[in-house]
Order: sequence, then structure tokens, then C-alpha cells
Amino acid sequence: MKVLVVEDEKGLAESITDYMVQDGYICETATTFGEAEEKIHLYNYDCIIVDLTLPDGNGFQIIETLKRLTATTGVIIISARNALEDKLKGLEIGSDDYLTKPFHLSELNARVKSLLRRRQFGGHTEIRFQEIRVVPHTRNVFVNGQPTTLSRKEYDLLLYFLSNIDVALTKASIAEHLWGDNIDSADSFDIVYSHIKNLRRKLLEKGAADYVQSIYGIGYKFSMP
Amino acid sequence: MKLLTKTNRIYLAFSLVIYLLTAVSFYQIIRMVIYDEVENRLRVEKRDFEEYVRMHNSWSTIPYFVENKIVVVPARGSKFQREVFTDTLIQNRYDNELAPFRQLTFYEPIQGVMHRVSIRKSLIQTYRLIEVITVVMIVFLGLLLLGSFWFQGKLSGRLWNPFYNTLARLKFFDLASDKPLELDKSEITEFTELNEVLQKMADKMRQDYSSLKEFTENASHEMQTPLALINAKVEQLIQTKQLTEVQMNWIDSIYQASRRIARLNQGLLLLAKIENRQFNDVQQINFTQLLIEKLQDMEEVLTHKHLTVSEQLTAPFDVLLPASLADSLVTNLVSNAIKHNQAGGQIKLTSTNNQLSLSNTGGLLTTDPERLFERFKKESTGPDSVGLGLAIVKQICDSYNIGVSYHYVDGMHTISLTAFH
Repeated sequence: MKVLVVEDEKGLAESITDYMVQDGYICETATTFGEAEEKIHLYNYDCIIVDLTLPDGNGFQIIETLKRLTATTGVIIISARNALEDKLKGLEIGSDDYLTKPFHLSELNARVKSLLRRRQFGGHTEIRFQEIRVVPHTRNVFVNGQPTTLSRKEYDLLLYFLSNIDVALTKASIAEHLWGDNIDSADSFDIVYSHIKNLRRKLLEKGAADYVQSIYGIGYKFSMP
Repeated sequence: MKLLTKTNRIYLAFSLVIYLLTAVSFYQIIRMVIYDEVENRLRVEKRDFEEYVRMHNSWSTIPYFVENKIVVVPARGSKFQREVFTDTLIQNRYDNELAPFRQLTFYEPIQGVMHRVSIRKSLIQTYRLIEVITVVMIVFLGLLLLGSFWFQGKLSGRLWNPFYNTLARLKFFDLASDKPLELDKSEITEFTELNEVLQKMADKMRQDYSSLKEFTENASHEMQTPLALINAKVEQLIQTKQLTEVQMNWIDSIYQASRRIARLNQGLLLLAKIENRQFNDVQQINFTQLLIEKLQDMEEVLTHKHLTVSEQLTAPFDVLLPASLADSLVTNLVSNAIKHNQAGGQIKLTSTNNQLSLSNTGGLLTTDPERLFERFKKESTGPDSVGLGLAIVKQICDSYNIGVSYHYVDGMHTISLTAFH
């Protein structure tokens, strides 16, 4: 999978790239409008992550050019502007998702994965991790072939974990993934904890290994025990 | 008191005093003139009388002197008195009415005997004259007074008209709207100057206000990218395997702090955007439904805090709002009701056609409820609250014509939205 990150803030571009590379993507960076234009003309990408405000141009233009060249490439906009018009305009010209800065890398990763799944196999793809199998378009979860009933939030939580295997996820990123940006109560961390506890119990009951690990106070990680 | 009322009153009081003084002195002058005239005639008659007595050395009531207008009586004692003018009332011999007379009394020897002679002249005609003159004068002066009063009122009303115009426009001047203050030109220099000064001030205010807003917005925008960077780096940092628990705690603190700034920043940005009216997809929204959905979405949180939700829905409460702001409003209301609730508490939703109230149990309120709508005004000092939630609620409601109020009664905190249809 090839991803292009168009972001003028070098540090941020670097973080995104590192994160994606660890997850097995081939990742390239463009920090200017010109560089991005050049890259999309030269190479094919599965997905591009575009910042709207670039020093020498507008991210929308890149998306428009890209859509003319290869319509199948997935587009995720990352912007400091949390504006509905931008989101709508982005969707109109063919972008798939919109993330407002500051965002969680894990969230971006989950969105990229979900986008690629939808794009490449028409959404009819399954996610497998060891004995766990998730069918996204029916929202079914199987452990060792047995159907497992999860609540809506537990399902979202599992999918989030599966999109970020072996990555430490902060409690804040989990809470925001499940309840949106506006969840800001300290209680939400307790709720995250109780959800994780439930999910873990349900998975264990069906014979899955214990994949969820707590990382000190800061968050959780889904990985091989 | 209005300026015109005030000047009118002063003018009226002053005119009345002048009017009374004029009336009194006018009356006095007329009276004086008439008395002078009567007295002169009496003196002439006295001379006639003396002439008659000198020629005839006697006195008889000749028909010339009718109506007991002259009375001659022998005077006892021999004290000479000078001639005196007096006012007297004499009974009319025909109809028993008392009539005013001016009387000249003097002493005259007739055939060697001293007589007191009184010559009178009726004042009835002159009194009538005075009356007529007085009445005419009152009527004319009164008309003059009323006329000038009316004219004065009209004139100052017209003169002050530009001032009242300016005042009315100032009242409707809204700093936050993008309409500049426009004032008419007046032909009166003072008002033109006033308008110019006001206009200049309003323009300056609007400029400052918009640059302040712009500053807030730009500053918040500029902060988003560095915040994103901090966030990203922290998230990368925690992937490191060799971190100790203490280090992890430090990182967690940095992370929490940066999240807090980010949230604060987003809140300020949102406020700036609402103020700048950057949302324009206003649509009719069933707010009750939206709120119920939000509460359902927060189900896990509610269960966790053991909060019970009760609903009392008479009719759906509809609002005209941009969809994204309706969502902000709902989120802030619900998260406020959850955050400031107590374990095992309640959330109550009441909805009618024109009012929607969301109540929650909670601690005693120590500040003025209306002040809770101010930015950064917090009841609790909890670190997880940035103090913008209710400010956002207020800003949205104010900008889109929805009434909003906060009440605290018996442990229940209620925020009510009212529609102004």
C-alpha cells in the first residue's frame, strides 16, 4: 500500500509517515504544493493525506488534479479549519474523509484503513487477527468461528484496536473515537476502561487469547500476548 | 425626563410668571389712569361748586346734581381737613344695589358755617371698562402664550429631530453585525459634528472588534498545527518500549495538557466562527429528537455514572439552526448535564412546542446562574472542563434568536431554551 502525505509542517509529516511505515505502508512525504503536484503526476498512490493550507497552494487543487489522474486513489483531508464548507467541498471534489487538527495518529490510521478497505474490495473484506474475524459490512464478529455478540461501542472499539495492532492507544483517542471530539469528561476514561473490560471478557469467553494490554496509566495496546 | 418636556416645562413656568406680572401691572396701570381721570373731574366739579357758592353764597340741591352725587352737611367742630379722595359704596336708590363711587370730601364755609362737602362720581362705567380690558387682555395674552408654546414645541421638535434620529440608529447599532453605523447629514452644525464623531467612533469600534475577532481566529488556527505536532509526537513517544512508568506519567501529563489546549482552542474557534456568522446552512431541526439521540449515544456514559434519564415530551421543540451548530449545542448541553451531575443523579428532559428544558441534579450553585454563560466561568474547578461549553450554548442561542436561561431550584440545574416565534 502506497500513501502520500502532503503536509507542510515537517515534524507532523514525519510523525504520520513513521506511524504508517510501522504499520507496513510505503509512505512518501510532500511538504509543498509543487512537490505534491509532481509526485501525483509521477507515481500512483492508494491513498493521499492532504493538508488544505500549504504555503504555495491549496490542497483542494491537489485533490482535483489527483482525481483527474487516478480517480481510485483515496483522499483524506487533514486541516486546521474545522469548517463544514471545507468538508462539503472536499466531499464534492472526491475526498473520502476529513480530519481536523489536532488529531490522533491512531485515528488517522484507522480512517486510512477503513478507507482502503472500502475502496479496494468494495467493503466486502474481512479483517482477521489470529482467531478473530470481523465482517465490517455486516458488523459481525467471530472468534474461533463462533459468532460473538458485541455492543455497538464494543464493536467500534474492537475495530479501532484491529486497525492499530501493536500500537499503544491513548485513552483519550479511544474515548474520542467512540464518542466524538466533545467527550471531555474525566469519567470517559473510566468508561473506556469498563468497555475494554467487557470486550476483553467477551473475547476471552469465546476462547480468544488475551490481546488487550494496559500501558501504565496512559492507554491500551492490542497485540500478541 | 425628555429634553423637550423639560424645556417646555421651564418655558411654561417662566411664561406664566411673566404673564401674571404683566397682567397685574397692566391692571394697576389702567386703574391708576382711570382714577386719575375721575379725580380730575371731581376736582373740576369741586371748582364748579366753589364758584357756585361764592356767587350765590348758598347751596340748593339743584337738579343739575342728581343721584345724591353731592352731599353737603354742616360740619361740627371747626377742624379743617384737607380734601380727601375715598372709595365708597353707595346704595343705588332704584334697585338697592351697591355701586362703587369715588368721593372727594372737602370743607367749605357756606353762609359762614363750615360744611362738609362730598362729591361723588360713579365708578360703575370705569369698572366695567377695566373688566373688559382685563378680560380682553387675558384672552389675548393667553392666546399668545398658547401660541408661542405650541410654536416652541413644534420648532424644538423639528430642531431636535436629527438628534432623535441619531439616537434611534445608535440604539439599533450592533457591533457584531457587519452593517456600519449610518447617520444622516443635518443642516445644524452641532448635530452634523455629533454624527461625524459618532460615526468615526463606531467605525473604530467595529474595526477593533473585527480585528480582535480575527486575531482570536488566526491565533487559534495557527495553534492547531503545533498542537497536532505535539499530539503526534506524544503518540509516537508512547510507542517506545523502554519507557518507565514515571516517564509515562510525565508524558501523560503533557498529553492531557495539550488535549486541553486543543479543546480550548477549538472552543474559541467555534465561538469566533459563530460570532462571524460563518455558518449559513440554517434549517429547521427537531431539537428534541436530536437531544434524545445524543442521550442515547451517551448511554454507556450514563450507565457508568448511574444517571437516570426521564423525558416529558409534549411536543417537539423545533429550531432554525445550521446543522453543525445544532450538533454543538446538543453536545454541550448533554455533556454539561452529565459532567456536573452527581453519581446516581437524574437528567430530565422536558419539551414543549416553544420550550425545551434539560435539568440535571447537581451541587449547590454558588455563582449567579446567568454568569455561568460567560467564557471561562466555571462552577467546579475540575481540570477536565475548559469553561467554554455554556458560553458556546449562549453564543449559538443569541446568534440564532433562541432564548436561553439557567435556573437552579432545589438541587436541580435547568437550562431552558425558548423559541421566539
